[in-house]
Amino acid sequence: MKDLMKLELPLGGEIMTTVRLTTGGICSLAGMDLDASEDCKVCVTESLLLLMHAGYRRAAVSFAEEEGLCISLSGMGMADDAEDVPEDEISEALLEALAAQVAFEKRGRLVGVTIRF
Amino acid sequence: MQEAELFTTYAATRDVSLRNEIVERYLYIAEMLAKKFVGRGVEYDDLYQVASLALIKGVERFDVSQGVKFSTFITPTITGEIKNYFRDRSRLIHLPRRVNELKLRIRKTAEELLAETGKQPTAREIAARLNVSEEEVVSIAEAGGVVSLDSPVPDSERGGDFHEVVAAADDGALEAVEQRDVLESAMKGLRPAERKVIEYRYLDGLSQTETAKRLGVSQMYVSRLERRVLEKMRETLKKGMAE
Repeated sequence: MKDLMKLELPLGGEIMTTVRLTTGGICSLAGMDLDASEDCKVCVTESLLLLMHAGYRRAAVSFAEEEGLCISLSGMGMADDAEDVPEDEISEALLEALAAQVAFEKRGRLVGVTIRF
Repeated sequence: MQEAELFTTYAATRDVSLRNEIVERYLYIAEMLAKKFVGRGVEYDDLYQVASLALIKGVERFDVSQGVKFSTFITPTITGEIKNYFRDRSRLIHLPRRVNELKLRIRKTAEELLAETGKQPTAREIAARLNVSEEEVVSIAEAGGVVSLDSPVPDSERGGDFHEVVAAADDGALEAVEQRDVLESAMKGLRPAERKVIEYRYLDGLSQTETAKRLGVSQMYVSRLERRVLEKMRETLKKGMAE
C-alpha cells in the first residue's frame, strides 16, 4: 500500500470545494479516468457529509494506492450537542452505487467510511 | 398510506393517479441525486429530468415483496440512469470549448467586479455572479496552467497576447472543428469509396461536379452515393446515441 496523502479537516459546507479539488488531483495522480474521478469526488464529499450529520466536527481523510485508490474517512471530535441521527439510506446507497467497494464502520453511530475505486 | 401499502395497492390496481402520488412523494430523491452530479458538463434541469424518468420507471418495477425500502432500491437505479446519460452524452459534450468560453466569462466578470468594488474578486464572488460552482471557477483557473491572457504568445511571429488569439478563435471556427469531429467519427464505418465522397464533399468542401471529376464518375453517381452514405451515417450516429 502506498500512502498518497493524509488530511485532517474541519467539517463544514465551505470546505467541500477544496476537498473535491484535492480529491480530483489525487485521482489524477492515481491514474483514474475523468468519469471515475468525478464519482470519487461525489463519494468523498458524501462520506464527509455523513460524518458531519453524525455529529463530528472534524474528519481525517487518507488516500492510499492499493489495487486502485482506497480512501478512508473517519470522524473526529464529536460535537457536545450531537443527537442520535437516523441512518442516511440514500447517501449510503449512493456511495454503494458509485464506488467499487464501500464499508461503513458503525459503533452505535457512524465512525468511519472506507471507499475503494 | 404507508410505503408498503402504497406499492401493494399500485401493483394490484396500476392506477395512474396513485403512481403519480408515489412519484411525487419520492421526487425529492431524484432532485437530491441530480444535484450530486452537477458540474460535469450537463445542466441540472437535464439531470433532474433523467432522474425523474428513472424514478417513474423505478416505481413501475419496484417489488415490495423483496423486503427492501424503496429509497434503497431507487437510489442506485437513478444513479445508474444518470451515469448512462453521461456516457451517452459524452460524445456531445465539448469540454474544451466550454472551458474556453467559461474562462473568458470568468475573466470578463473578474474585470467587472474589480471595476464595481475596487478590489480583486474571489472565486466565490465570480461563481455567484456567473451562476456556476465555485469549484468550476477554481479548476478552470488551473486548466492549461496559470498563463495570463495578457502574457505574450510564445513563438508568435506577429506578436500579440493570448487574449487576442483566443478572441480570434470565433464561434464559427470552433463550430466547424466540432462538426468535423462528429463527421469523422461517423465516417469510421464507411467503405473506402464512400469515405472518399464524404471527404471531398464535406471535409475538402468540393462541389458534386468537382468530386465526380476527381473520382472519374458522373455527377449523378456522386449525388446518389452521397445520399446513401449520408443516410448510413445518420443511422450510425443515431445508433451511437441510443447505445
